[in-house]
Amino acid sequence: MRIRAPKDFWSGVMFCGFAAVAILAARGYSLGTAGKMGPGYFPLVLGGLLAALGAMLIGRSLILSGEPVARFHVLPLAIIAAAVCLFGVLIEPLGLVLSLVVLTLMSASAGAQFRLPETLALTVLLIVFSAGVFVYALGLPLNIWPSL
Amino acid sequence: MDVISNLGLGFAVALTIQNVAYCFIGVLLGTIIGVLPGIGPVTTVAMLLPISFTLQPESALILLAGIYYGAQYGGSTTAILVNIPGEASSVVTTIDGHQMARRGRAGPALGIAALGSFFAGCVSTLLIALAAPPLAAIALQFGPAEYFSLMVCGLVAAVVLAHGSLVKAIAMVVLGLLLGLVGTDVNTGARRFNFGMMGLADGIEFVAISMAIYGIAEVVYNLEKKQETSVVSGALGRVWPSLADLRYCAGSILRGTGLGAILGVLPGGGALLASFAAYTLEKKVARPPRQFGYGDIRGVAAPESANNAGAQTSFIPMLTLGIPGNPTMAMMIGALMIHGIAPGPRVMTDRPGLFWGLIASMWLGNLMLVILWRIKLLIILRRQGAAR
Repeated sequence: MRIRAPKDFWSGVMFCGFAAVAILAARGYSLGTAGKMGPGYFPLVLGGLLAALGAMLIGRSLILSGEPVARFHVLPLAIIAAAVCLFGVLIEPLGLVLSLVVLTLMSASAGAQFRLPETLALTVLLIVFSAGVFVYALGLPLNIWPSL
Repeated sequence: MDVISNLGLGFAVALTIQNVAYCFIGVLLGTIIGVLPGIGPVTTVAMLLPISFTLQPESALILLAGIYYGAQYGGSTTAILVNIPGEASSVVTTIDGHQMARRGRAGPALGIAALGSFFAGCVSTLLIALAAPPLAAIALQFGPAEYFSLMVCGLVAAVVLAHGSLVKAIAMVVLGLLLGLVGTDVNTGARRFNFGMMGLADGIEFVAISMAIYGIAEVVYNLEKKQETSVVSGALGRVWPSLADLRYCAGSILRGTGLGAILGVLPGGGALLASFAAYTLEKKVARPPRQFGYGDIRGVAAPESANNAGAQTSFIPMLTLGIPGNPTMAMMIGALMIHGIAPGPRVMTDRPGLFWGLIASMWLGNLMLVILWRIKLLIILRRQGAAR
């Protein structure tokens, strides 16, 4: 068995993965009937449908040839995703200023070329802009400095 | 003529110095939040609701409405220049708009978006004035079957809209539906997929999803291509679309306006559905169809006209029936209730000044938006001149 269309194959695997998560996470919900649906009915139907579509992609990728997968840059992807998540976690305890510093420095370090002066300038600009627009102008309830 | 005397009354209300000022503040705020991704009209209107309590109901509604349709103008700017839609309703504009910008035609793309929006704004304002009463009668007959059909229509449109693999498009629609299941089940009230977090009780926010898919993905995409950022820093091209462009787009603008105006009236419609549907229609109808997805100016003209038309006609069910077609309209109903006005068919007869004043202010607001757009463009041009 040879994979002829790697891009289709891996997207099929991805969809099957999402389907599996949906079905597994919804296994505790009651199903009900088609006429009176429980909370678990629709997730199961959609999960099944998604798995079928994923399987179709995988099956097709073994028969028809197609595009290869581009090189996957795992580390930068992980750093950027982590930086965004970290910002969400840090903004409450550390406040806007410090969490923005963490966000920009981390994201910039994922780039191909890392220039400290440029990044610092961007950080300052972002802090001034965010504090001015979101905290002062729009009055969003955000801490600027760490709350102790 | 009834319409003319009604509109006369409307302009008498809208043209007071105070209301002109609030209209201007509204469209200015709308343009700004339209440019900022991640903050939409719903959030802004929600934050301004308490302030609007201190205003006259007419001024409050004029201000809040300006934010909504103003955001439709602003949203296209970032969609075209940076490939990040400032508003959800500008998502389809990125497809062709950003391609145009990459080909040095950002100017005409921005120009046609503004001109199309202005045309759509004028037409739909007139349409509300002419057709609000009879159109309301249609929407009044909407039942669950019609809502369902509308949803299916939207999902089918999403599949048609995608270019590339059909199976992947359907799979992404299903995945989107699964993401929509997060939160409280509408039938039983049970919490689904929330992992014990209160923040997920109302589902995943649309803003969060669109920022992740359009914002973060763009950041990652930029990593791959080392030097080329997608921000268009080169020439905008000529600013006004050429006469040939205009002739080329005339049909698209007309179709987009018409479709947007119709979809805006329907519940669940409004700017978002209108822009997607208009792009899909354009891909099917326009000849030659080949260039779509590769910087076709009609792919900017149609959805931008449609989202503005849809944004304005979505006021029809809100004002005549008290039915919010979308979250922003729900906020408007909130604003009316704060002032002790029950939204519904009686607004038109009980408070004609409010109803027709709002409509007149929309035309006024559209005029201001074109002027604002011109100023904004001058600022961009000057900054580019300084950078060079």
